[in-house]
Amino acid sequence: MGMLRYLPLILKNCWRNRRRTVLTVASIGVSMCLLGVMIAMFHAMYLSDATPEQALRLVTRNRISLTQDLPESYGSRIRQVPGVQDFLINDWFGGTYIDQRHFFAHFAVDSAKLFAIYPEFKIPADQRQAFERERTACVVGRDLANKYGFKLGDRIHLVGDIYPGDYEFVVRGIFDSPRPSEAMYISREYLEQSLPEARKGRAGTFALMLDSPASATRVAEAIDSQFRNSAAETKTESEQAYLLGFASLLGNVKMFLIGISAAVMFTILLVSANTMAMSVRERVREVGVLKTLGFTPATILSLIVGESVGISLAGGLIGFLLSMMLTSGVGKSPAGMFLPRVPAFQPAVAAACLLAAGAIGFVSSLVPALNASRTSIVEALRSTD
Amino acid sequence: MSETVIETISLTKEFLRDQFHVIALNEVSLEIHKGEFVALMGPSGSGKSTLLHLIAAMDKPTSGEIRVLGHNLRELNDREIAHWRNEHVGFIFQQFNLIPVLTALENVELPLKLTNLKKPERIEHATTALKLVGLGDRLHHLPRQLSGGQEQRVAIARAIVTDPALILADEPTGNLDAASGQEVLVLLAQLNRDFGKTVVLVTHDPHAAQFASKVHYLEKGELV
Repeated sequence: MGMLRYLPLILKNCWRNRRRTVLTVASIGVSMCLLGVMIAMFHAMYLSDATPEQALRLVTRNRISLTQDLPESYGSRIRQVPGVQDFLINDWFGGTYIDQRHFFAHFAVDSAKLFAIYPEFKIPADQRQAFERERTACVVGRDLANKYGFKLGDRIHLVGDIYPGDYEFVVRGIFDSPRPSEAMYISREYLEQSLPEARKGRAGTFALMLDSPASATRVAEAIDSQFRNSAAETKTESEQAYLLGFASLLGNVKMFLIGISAAVMFTILLVSANTMAMSVRERVREVGVLKTLGFTPATILSLIVGESVGISLAGGLIGFLLSMMLTSGVGKSPAGMFLPRVPAFQPAVAAACLLAAGAIGFVSSLVPALNASRTSIVEALRSTD
Repeated sequence: MSETVIETISLTKEFLRDQFHVIALNEVSLEIHKGEFVALMGPSGSGKSTLLHLIAAMDKPTSGEIRVLGHNLRELNDREIAHWRNEHVGFIFQQFNLIPVLTALENVELPLKLTNLKKPERIEHATTALKLVGLGDRLHHLPRQLSGGQEQRVAIARAIVTDPALILADEPTGNLDAASGQEVLVLLAQLNRDFGKTVVLVTHDPHAAQFASKVHYLEKGELV
């Protein structure tokens, strides 16, 4: 209860120089927003658990790089590894819709297996059957359909680059997904028929369905050891790790996130320390008055630190709310397809933003507050503001 | 003879200002008794305010003894002095020194926050103090919404709200017009006469000194 009785005084002091307080809260808010997004991404990428569906899937790709393919024939050997229930060949089509600005993901898959391997994709039975039956059919995610206004029966014209030529697909289904779904799936069989003989029989990746999440490590080792020392060695990994592979094409994402976060913290600490030093310097005389009234140095210290922490926490809260909005935006963007699911609200992010803001407030005010609390009354009263 | 509330023995205060050694007070010995209204007079730089600061334990003497209300102030640590000052001393400044973001009521309530009083009791005490100085209708005014005289009366209410035995005023009329200054002096005299407060007033105004029952003159840090 001790410090609570000073809360009105602390709050009034916070609001004393409104412009400065608003600017300080804003600068801390923006910084904490950036920090919040970084932590949310870091948490989602490196610390979050796989969904139940993801836990049952592995991805086998070429060991050298994501851009190298594998022989299609690997599929039958992979299928024989105990623990593997089924597999799906997933090829990156990479064509262009209208022009480069209208980018979205296009995958060529075994149309009969897509919804079995990805049970989280929900589609009406008749649309699924139409997709499996018709070679030129495609299905699109709800997000993509909403973005471009695609309806059942619409024709989508793509210009291929990895698979050269003009292709036209008919939208036969629109599926819903818990993750961002700006994606289009087409029939791999149709695509194969359009290729020259020399290019046939290759597979981008194999998406494997396991009998149990517990089999994942054993299955991955079994598959990779089976193809060791072959012309095309494999790398089998969890779906999360595979998705992170896309992000890592940008560089050392982990160090990038940590580095940016540290820089943000340090910069805002300097800004905040300068602001608090100015604020305290303007009120040295008042510190002398408070001491004359009987306030102890410890209470003065608490009042100043409390004020700074209060302002910083307000910034931290605003920053967290902004980061929730941004994180939600990242998750819904086309890039969200290639990232693990990033929940908008994460308690760990909220805690990190508020703790970081609190720490900034505390550290930045400590030296000015200590100096003020140690200033003698006579010296403080002599101050001319 | 009534009880001695302030006693200084060979009180000396020296300090360095811009490499110059200054003797602000030199071997000052005096006694002030309970219920007295004492004026400390002297020209600028004579050591009046320094003596007042030492009596309020706002500063420490270089040498000598000082006993106030039975306490040897040199024996108290910072925390004990702060509590002692809050309980026993009401200090009035020349420049009022109200907290600008707080209302008159909140300013007067401030010293009571250091006591064990609950909020309603604090408000009641602060309101009573403000009514006593004639500002019962200005409770929720900010300092900038008050005249200089009213500000000083709020400062007096703040000084007396903890019911201290000792009221120390450092040129309280120095920033006021004649009429407002007169009101403040009447108020101090009333506190001395009607409530038995011991008042020490620092002034260089002979008119103000007339309100005191005893006047001490200081010159170049010495009692004359």
